Amino acid sequence: MKAFEYSSPTTPEDALKDLAGPGTVEALSGGTDLIGRMKDYVASPDRVVYLKDVKALAGIAEKSGGLEIGAGTRLVDLSADPIVRKRLPALHQATVEVGTPQIRNMATVGGNLLQRPRCWYFRNGHGLLGTKDGKSLVREGDNRYHAIFLTEGDALFINPSSLAVPLIALNAQATVVGPGGERTIPVEKLYQVPKSSDDRELTLAPGELLTKVTIPAGEVKNGFFEARQKQSHDWPLVAAAVGLKMNGDTVGDGRVVLYGVAPIPWRSEAAEKAIRGKALTRETAEAAAAAAVEGAKPLSMNGYKVALVKTTVKRALLDAAGDRYWEEA
Amino acid sequence: MASWPESPRLIGTSIPRLDGLAKASGRAKYPSDIRPEGLLFGVLLSSPHASAKVKAIDLEPAKTMPGVKAVLALATAGESTIFYQGQEIAAVAAETEEKARDAARAIRVEYEILPHVATERQSAAEGAPKVFPTGNTRAARAQTTGKPDEAMQKADAVIEATYELPVITHVCLEPHGLTAHWKGPDSITVYASTQSVMGVANDMVENLGLESANVTVLTDVMGGGFGSKFNADTWGIAAAKLAKEAGRPVRMFLDRAQEHQLGGNRPSAKAKIKLGAAKDGKLVAMVAETSGTGGRGGSNFPLPYVYKVDDRSRAHTEIFVNGGSARAMRAPGHPQGCAVMEAAMDDLAAKLGINPLAFRLANLAEADMVAGGVNRTDLYKEQVERGAKLIGWDRWKPRGQNGDGPIKRGLGLALHQWGGGGAQDKQVACIINPDGSVELRSATQDIGTGARTILAVIAAEVLGLEVGQIKSNIGNSTFPPGQSSGGSTTTPSMAPPCLDAVEKARDELFKRIAPGLDAKPEDLSLKGGKLLVKGEEKATWAQACRKLGMMPVTATGVFGPGLASTGVGGCQFAEVTVDVETGVVRVKKIVAVQDSGLILDMLTWKSQVYGGVIGGLNYGLFEERIMDEGTGAMLNPDMEMYKLAGATDIPEIVVDAYDTPEMRVRGVIGVGEPPTISTAAAIGNAVANAIGVRVPKWPMSPMNVLDALAAAEGKA
Repeated sequence: MKAFEYSSPTTPEDALKDLAGPGTVEALSGGTDLIGRMKDYVASPDRVVYLKDVKALAGIAEKSGGLEIGAGTRLVDLSADPIVRKRLPALHQATVEVGTPQIRNMATVGGNLLQRPRCWYFRNGHGLLGTKDGKSLVREGDNRYHAIFLTEGDALFINPSSLAVPLIALNAQATVVGPGGERTIPVEKLYQVPKSSDDRELTLAPGELLTKVTIPAGEVKNGFFEARQKQSHDWPLVAAAVGLKMNGDTVGDGRVVLYGVAPIPWRSEAAEKAIRGKALTRETAEAAAAAAVEGAKPLSMNGYKVALVKTTVKRALLDAAGDRYWEEA
Repeated sequence: MASWPESPRLIGTSIPRLDGLAKASGRAKYPSDIRPEGLLFGVLLSSPHASAKVKAIDLEPAKTMPGVKAVLALATAGESTIFYQGQEIAAVAAETEEKARDAARAIRVEYEILPHVATERQSAAEGAPKVFPTGNTRAARAQTTGKPDEAMQKADAVIEATYELPVITHVCLEPHGLTAHWKGPDSITVYASTQSVMGVANDMVENLGLESANVTVLTDVMGGGFGSKFNADTWGIAAAKLAKEAGRPVRMFLDRAQEHQLGGNRPSAKAKIKLGAAKDGKLVAMVAETSGTGGRGGSNFPLPYVYKVDDRSRAHTEIFVNGGSARAMRAPGHPQGCAVMEAAMDDLAAKLGINPLAFRLANLAEADMVAGGVNRTDLYKEQVERGAKLIGWDRWKPRGQNGDGPIKRGLGLALHQWGGGGAQDKQVACIINPDGSVELRSATQDIGTGARTILAVIAAEVLGLEVGQIKSNIGNSTFPPGQSSGGSTTTPSMAPPCLDAVEKARDELFKRIAPGLDAKPEDLSLKGGKLLVKGEEKATWAQACRKLGMMPVTATGVFGPGLASTGVGGCQFAEVTVDVETGVVRVKKIVAVQDSGLILDMLTWKSQVYGGVIGGLNYGLFEERIMDEGTGAMLNPDMEMYKLAGATDIPEIVVDAYDTPEMRVRGVIGVGEPPTISTAAAIGNAVANAIGVRVPKWPMSPMNVLDALAAAEGKA
C-alpha cells in the first residue's frame, strides 16, 4: 500500500479538522474494508484518520423514545444491546449475520453503512462502474452477484451495507457533521446512484463525518430475512427488512427494503403498496413478494435473484408476524 | 516376506500426532515463519494480463527505492510470452514486505497485449484467439469397447445429460514459497513449504549449479500442498538468486491472489453422458463426450468410474485457456470422474424407479481384483451396507417425496477407488544412542498427514517404548532418500523401510549388549521400556543402551515385500436439506466408509478422512475459480468470494474405518486421496434426491440450484 499520513483524533472536532485534508483522506474505523482496499491499491489515500479513539462516536442511548446509535458503535455491541434485541429484531438479526465474530468485534455501524461496494470489477481496479474501454465489464462478464433493479443504468454493483436495509425499514435518520455544521438526513439519503465513474455512490462530501443514526420513537413491527450460500462468514445474496406501523391488525404504513438487488438499498414501493391496509398473513406476504419483483431486469447471470427477492420479502414479512414457516421442526 | 507385529501394542490405536500441540498452540514454526538473522522479504511481480508479449522490462525504478536490496527479471524482454494472469515477471527483495511490494509495482513493464480466452466457452468460440499455434483443443484418443450404439438400442431406460464441474484451486493455507539462506558461496539451506524436500533440493542443484552435498532443504511442518507443491518453482529459485545477490537470506512466498492464479488447480470437467440400462437394472451401454480445461495442461479423468459397462465409448477433448496451469490435486481426475458417473447412475436409477443403492451394487464387476487377491467388489458390498446403516438409508425415499414445506431433505451416495501403493526404493535410518534416545531419519516430509508420527509409532512398537520417546526426524533433504508426499504413497513407501531400520537397529543393539549380559542376542527382547533376557526383566531401556558405551547403533532400512499393498475402495453417504425457495443447501451429515489395509495410527488416519471429506464438501458446495472473459482475470482470487466452508458449514462427519483382519494382513496403503473423491458426488445426489431435480452444475450454490429448479419448471 502507498505510504500515508496517520492521525488519531479523540474528539469529533479534531476528527473534522483532520478529515479536511489536505490531499485525499479516508476515515478508518474497523478497517475491515479500507485496509483491504489500500493493500490492493484500490484506495491510496494521502491521509488516514482513525476514528475509534473518538469515544463520543460510540454508544447506544435511548432518547425520547427513540434510539441513538453512535457511528463508532461496534457491531458486537449493537448485537448485544437489549433494546435492539427486544424491539428491533430486524436490526439485531442483520447485525449478527455480518461477517464473523472477529469482524463484528472490529467493525462499526458507520463503517458498515459507508463501506465501498464489493463488486469484483471495482475491487480488481476497474472503477466503480466496472468499465474497460468504455464498455461495461459487468454487463458482459460475471454478474452473478450484481444488481437486478436499475440495470438500464451504468451502475450495476450492489450496495454492500446489510445494516442499511433494516435501518431504512425503521426510518432511521443519519446525523452528519461537516465544515458547514450538522445536518440530519434519512439513512437512505446517504446513498445515490452514480451517473459516471467520477461520481461516488455515497452522498457524504469530503470532510464530512457520520456521527450517529437515530431510530425514531414509535412502535414498528419489524422483520428480516437473509439468503446466503454459507452459514459462516459470507455476504448475503439477497436480504429483506420490513418495518411496519400497524393499525390494529392491519398494516398502516410499511416499508420493505432489499439488499443485494440495486446500487442503493432498494425500497420496494410496489411491495409496500401491496401490504398497505392488509393483515399480515401468508397471502399478504405472497402478494408483496410478487409485487416486489415487478420491474426487475436481471443481468445475464443473476436471474436467480428474482426468486430470492420473492422469498426474502415474504419471509421478512412473516418474520415480523412471527410465522417462521421455513424453519425446520 | 517381512511382516508387521502380530499383536501390536500401539499400531492401529489412536495416537495423537507428535507435533499436534505445537501446531494447535501456534508454537510450530512453518517455513513461512522462519526468520533468519538479516532476513529480506521477497515479492513476486506477476503479469496483470492473461495474454501478452513482454516487450521491455525496466528494473531500475525498483532498484533505487529505499530498502531494496536485489531485483531480478524472470521474464525476458522481447522473448517471453504471457499465457495467464499471474505469470512471473520479476522479483524483488527488500527490508520489509511493504517496501518489496512497492518496489515490485515500480518496475516498468511494457506489454503487447494479445487477445485471450479465459473460459472454456470463450476458448471454443468460433474465431477465438489461439492459446497454442495448433489451436485451443486437442482430442484425446477416443476409446470404444464393444458396440455401444447397438447395445443402447436394447436399453429399457436411457438418460442423456450434461454435468459440469468448475476449475478449483488448492488454496493451501500456507502459500507456495521458501526462504533461501546461503551458508557460504556454494552452500545453501532452504526452508521450503513443500511436499518434496528432495524435489526442491534437486531443483536447487539443477538451477543454481550447486553440488547436492551443499544443498539442504528443510520442511519441519508445512501448511498444505494437496499435490501442488513438489518443486522449488521459479519464485523459489528467484529467492535463492536474490539472496545470493543481496548477501542476505530471502523469504519468498506467493500472496493469496498469486496462490490462486499460479499455484495450480484442479481442471474443470464437462461430461455429456448417455447411459442405458435394462429393466433388471443392469447397465447396457454408455456413450460419453467429455472435456475440461487445465489451463495449458491436461484435464482427462477416468470414465466409466467404478461401475461395469461392457459396451461403451468415450471421447475426451482437452480445452486450453489463458488460465493458470493445473497441477496434481488430491486424487487427480477421480473426483471429476466420480461426480459425473455417479450423477448419471443416480439419474438412471431414478428413471428406472430402482433404489440407487441396489442399482449400484448390481453394476459392480463380478471380480474387481486388486493387489493381494482382494476382490474390491466384495469390499464395496460390505462398505455400502455399513454406510447405509450409519446414514439411515432405510429413510430413503424416491425423488419428489422428500418434504411438503420449502425445506426438502435428501440422501445420496457415491463410490470411489484409488491405488495408494508405495515406492520400493526409499530408506529410513534408525539411530539408537547410548543415552537411550532414538532417532529416525529420512528425507520424506509430513504434509499434515501424520507421517512423522506414524514412523515414531513403528519404532516405539518394535522397541517397546512410548511414541514420545522417538525423535522422528524427517523433512531434511540430506537424510536417506525418502518419498515425495503425493498419490497417497508416503506411508506405504516409508513404513516398510522404517520397520526394517528399527528391527535392524534392535538386532544390532542385542548383538552388541548380549555378551555383557551373559546372554545370546536371541534371548533378548524389549517390552514396556525394559530389556528382557529370556523373558525376565534385566534392565531399563536407558540402562540397556548405556551398555553401548560411546558407540551408537545405526541401521538403514529398506523396503521389504509383504508390508504394503495397493488398491482401495470406499463409499460416502450424504444427508442434505435444500430450501427450494432460496436454493440454499445444508449438508447435515456425511458418512465415509474407507479401507486402506493396515492402519498404523487410527487418529491421524481418521484425521486424513475428515480432511478429505471437508475438501470434498467444499468442492460440492462452494468452490469455483471464476474467470472474467472481458479481462482474462480471475475475479475471486481471495478467500472471500472464493468460497470455502467455515466451522459452521461443517456437518456431522462419521468416519468408519473398514479395518478388518483381512485388510490388516494386506499391509499399509495410503489414505490421502480416496476420502476426498466421492463427497461432492454424494452431495450432488442427495440434492437431486431432495428436490427431485438434478442440479447439473457444481458447486451446489443457490444460483445453480435455483437455475436448475427454474429450468425444470420451464420444462414442466
